[in-house]
Amino acid sequence: MTARGHPWTVFAILVSVWLVTLPRLAGASESDLLLVVHPSVQTPSISRDTARAIFAMRQRTWPNGQAIHVVVLPNRYPMHERFTKELLGVYPHQLQLSWDRLVFSGTGQAPEQVETPDDMLERIATTPGAVGYIERGYLDERVHVLPME
Amino acid sequence: MSVSMSCPWNRASTSLLTLLLMVGPMYPASANDSLDTLDTLQVHGFLSQALVITDENNFFGPSSQDGGSLQFTEIGANVSLRPHRNVLLAAQVLSRRAGGELSDMRPKLDHGVVDYQAFADSTTRLGTQIGRFKNPFGFYNQTRDIAFTRPSILLPQSIYFDRTRSLGLAADGMAIYGEKRLPVGTFRAQIGAGKPQVGDDVARALMLDSRPGELDSDTSFIGQLLYEHGGGRFTAALSAADVNATFQSHQAAWDGGKLRFQPWILSLQYDEERWSLTAEYALRHISLSDFALPGVNFDTTGESWYLQYTRRFHRDWQWLLRYDVLVNDRDDRSGRRFEASGAGPAHSRFARDLTLGLRWYVHPRLLLATEYHYVEGTGWLPSQDNPDSDTQKYWNMLLFQASWRF
Repeated sequence: MTARGHPWTVFAILVSVWLVTLPRLAGASESDLLLVVHPSVQTPSISRDTARAIFAMRQRTWPNGQAIHVVVLPNRYPMHERFTKELLGVYPHQLQLSWDRLVFSGTGQAPEQVETPDDMLERIATTPGAVGYIERGYLDERVHVLPME
Repeated sequence: MSVSMSCPWNRASTSLLTLLLMVGPMYPASANDSLDTLDTLQVHGFLSQALVITDENNFFGPSSQDGGSLQFTEIGANVSLRPHRNVLLAAQVLSRRAGGELSDMRPKLDHGVVDYQAFADSTTRLGTQIGRFKNPFGFYNQTRDIAFTRPSILLPQSIYFDRTRSLGLAADGMAIYGEKRLPVGTFRAQIGAGKPQVGDDVARALMLDSRPGELDSDTSFIGQLLYEHGGGRFTAALSAADVNATFQSHQAAWDGGKLRFQPWILSLQYDEERWSLTAEYALRHISLSDFALPGVNFDTTGESWYLQYTRRFHRDWQWLLRYDVLVNDRDDRSGRRFEASGAGPAHSRFARDLTLGLRWYVHPRLLLATEYHYVEGTGWLPSQDNPDSDTQKYWNMLLFQASWRF
């Protein structure tokens, strides 16, 4: 490969790859996943943008000043992947990179990771300011649902 | 290495400790605070080891000899704590070797900040960081030494080159950050002022290392404006810096010379579920002035850009294709004038790097990666690995890296 050939060859390859893999827009689907919070959280509802900022660990406090404690399932857990895509509109790898960048640059912290949906409920029920997510079927009276606008 | 440079960790840790002691008592964790301070304590770390093999030229150690070089190691650990709902304390220690001496592994304070979030509502966030803060420069600078946050083993060297890395890493001073979420997208801005670290690498790159004296950093500025659309699907950022240092010498002929480094970077990224396309373009203005001896002063503008495609073809696998170009002097792109002046070979003034990479996330904590570079030119080749400047224009490089984190 000659020096002169480099830029255009690479450019042509990238453009073709891009055209082949253009994203197909998925329609909005009704999700059975819910945002849940500790009963001490006063916020009546939040927007998707705010939810995204909270789970990206960029929003550290609730509007009334209470500290937020984010709880998530492991990246490989199907419920986590559905949550990020359906409720937040982002991909697990984007959230993970966002956490890593905060943690390793001194600009934020990682969320707490729990292993099962039962642990998730338990943690949210017992931690003031906590927020997480759960399938409707798992819901119990110890936590509150936080509607998303 | 001078005495003052040899114990950066001690100096830095002392000043950080002082800062923490000053701020700590201001925010006692009150009994009715919803978060227990110790509950917020987090400790994270990483460890990376690479094998670098080249056919010509050396990169990060004697990579062209025998079985290659194992002298690329990155080890780090950090701790963070929220003593108050609006305050974050964070510090990280980094031990890194990339060629050079074993003593380069001596741990250094990578960052150490008191972060105070002064204002936050449902769409806005404003805060400040005081201490040693990481410079927001391009997409990758703030976490450039953590393999898990990089798209490849080596970041695109045209922008994130190693030869003057100390200048851009972090600054001791104060930064202000803000975030505004609007229906059209999220805007983030950060601006900081402080003293950068000027390591031996900078003097070496400017050929001042054999001169009588050393570079001392002066107050410098850095800023970044970032726009994010669709939750990170599209990101654009503009970063700029004005980095200053003065050459201190006992000899009048050398004393008082000024170094000025003013880079601009435009960063663009489109990130989908299975692939992402990233491009960055940088203009780097660098000058030495006020040296009494003619021939030392110079003023050049360099140019860097790369285009990078990554494909996540399986949940745990990803490949990458990148083309990366560096020009040291826009007025002498081929380096011919440089060579004619007798300063060195033309190919040392540019570099074109075609990279193909593969990564496997064996486990969320374990990453294995390999990549191949076909390089023309030695514009970003560290001179400490090639002291006799007898370099080859065309060379190949193969890297393997294992990274672990917690």
